[in-house]
Amino acid sequence: MTANWFAAPAPIGRRVRAYFAPINRVTQTPVLFDPTAQSDFDLNSPPAPWIDLGWIQGFTREACSKTSPVLTGIPAGTLDQVRETLEAHVSFEFLSWTKLTMALATGSQHLNLLVPASGAAVTVLAGSTASIVQLAATDAEKFQAGSMIAIDADYNGQTGFVGAPISGAYLRGALADVDYIRRVTFNVGLVTSVGPTSLNLAEPLPGGAPTADAKLQAITGFVDREGGSFYQEWSALFVIAAAQGERIFFHYPRLQSVAGAKETYSPLDAKHKSGLSRTLLKGEFMALPITDALDGERVLCYRSFLPAANALI
Amino acid sequence: MQNAKDSFYMALRTRLASINPGHTLLLRGTVRPGILVEEAEAPFSQIPSDVFVLRWLGLGVDLELASTMSAEECEILYQTSGTQSFGGLDRGRSMSALDKELVTILQPFNTPKFNYSIQPPAPMLSQVFWDEPAFTTATIQRDRLSRSAKVMVYSYQEQGE
Repeated sequence: MTANWFAAPAPIGRRVRAYFAPINRVTQTPVLFDPTAQSDFDLNSPPAPWIDLGWIQGFTREACSKTSPVLTGIPAGTLDQVRETLEAHVSFEFLSWTKLTMALATGSQHLNLLVPASGAAVTVLAGSTASIVQLAATDAEKFQAGSMIAIDADYNGQTGFVGAPISGAYLRGALADVDYIRRVTFNVGLVTSVGPTSLNLAEPLPGGAPTADAKLQAITGFVDREGGSFYQEWSALFVIAAAQGERIFFHYPRLQSVAGAKETYSPLDAKHKSGLSRTLLKGEFMALPITDALDGERVLCYRSFLPAANALI
Repeated sequence: MQNAKDSFYMALRTRLASINPGHTLLLRGTVRPGILVEEAEAPFSQIPSDVFVLRWLGLGVDLELASTMSAEECEILYQTSGTQSFGGLDRGRSMSALDKELVTILQPFNTPKFNYSIQPPAPMLSQVFWDEPAFTTATIQRDRLSRSAKVMVYSYQEQGE
């Protein structure tokens, strides 16, 4: 009889792919990845609300939870053990610089560079979508293909987490800057073409279609700072797609940036290390626990494995 | 191992026909995609121009795994003299086009393993997979540009192989 299975050795993979999804910071609701329903997604097109951050390198997971023995007897022997603390760290290097990778690789607020510095926002009209922004004709003519834009509401004195649905900062006191939310918003995009009354974006806005009170402003780039009191917190999913079709998922429902902005340098030519080098964003994160609804256990991360077709399990 | 070699070749051939149907060669009276396996054709003194020629080289075997893994090195050779319509002055561009085609057909870096010794070919259970290509420096002989790329092709030995 012909065997219809094979014994697959350890998975062989090339790189790790990273996906992040925004946590609702106000309600502290993370995005949970369901490997039973979402595991076979196209790596280039993750299920909503996961955002593809591309391949990463140097992916390292470290479990730092501490366990202590429960001692009994004289002389004492270990009767059992208890988990004293829950802690896990993740670090890796992003292979691209974008709004989101830069924000994740910094420990604090991540700001958009508005141009001019303030007071130049134009109103976004009804009918706008995550990919097409409707503007008045006199506003649309101020932009051209290649313009970078930020879209969000005016700041009007609120405190707490600001930016929806992705929180970009936490304000303890009111500010006077009407553009503040657009400075910290993740709703940024690249204009690929301009119509008489619309801007077409290269990729959908991470936060989805603009809200009714949204305004648009041009940006030139981004800036972050060492210091501050805000921590980026996202749900994270890392995927290793192995050669036999196996998939390994590392899912961290709550991952907070734990270190300030840091870069590493990777020479393009190993034989010419003083020549051109790639500047990589270094991301370091701490996992925070959630309570698993399955059994009430507090956990930091999930590791899922989907074996190859026909492989022995 | 022959099934892995056959599957690798057929994957590249199918992908080449898909991305550039016009890239063909006439061999033994048949027009087919511009790729062949050297050891499966009559010996030739010089490889044909504008054709990918697969030459199987080294072999390694790891017996200490749940399934025996073999690694076979494949050298893919190709050369071009450009086109007649440009008097060969476009040979650099032709070489770049071949480079690009080769990189394209090598992705994704895996393909299902088939047994092509029977008709119709029978699907097997595992995947054949390979590493990124390592390109050599282009060599120049008169009006002819040549290059090769080496790829390590891996497969697991299945029961009955």
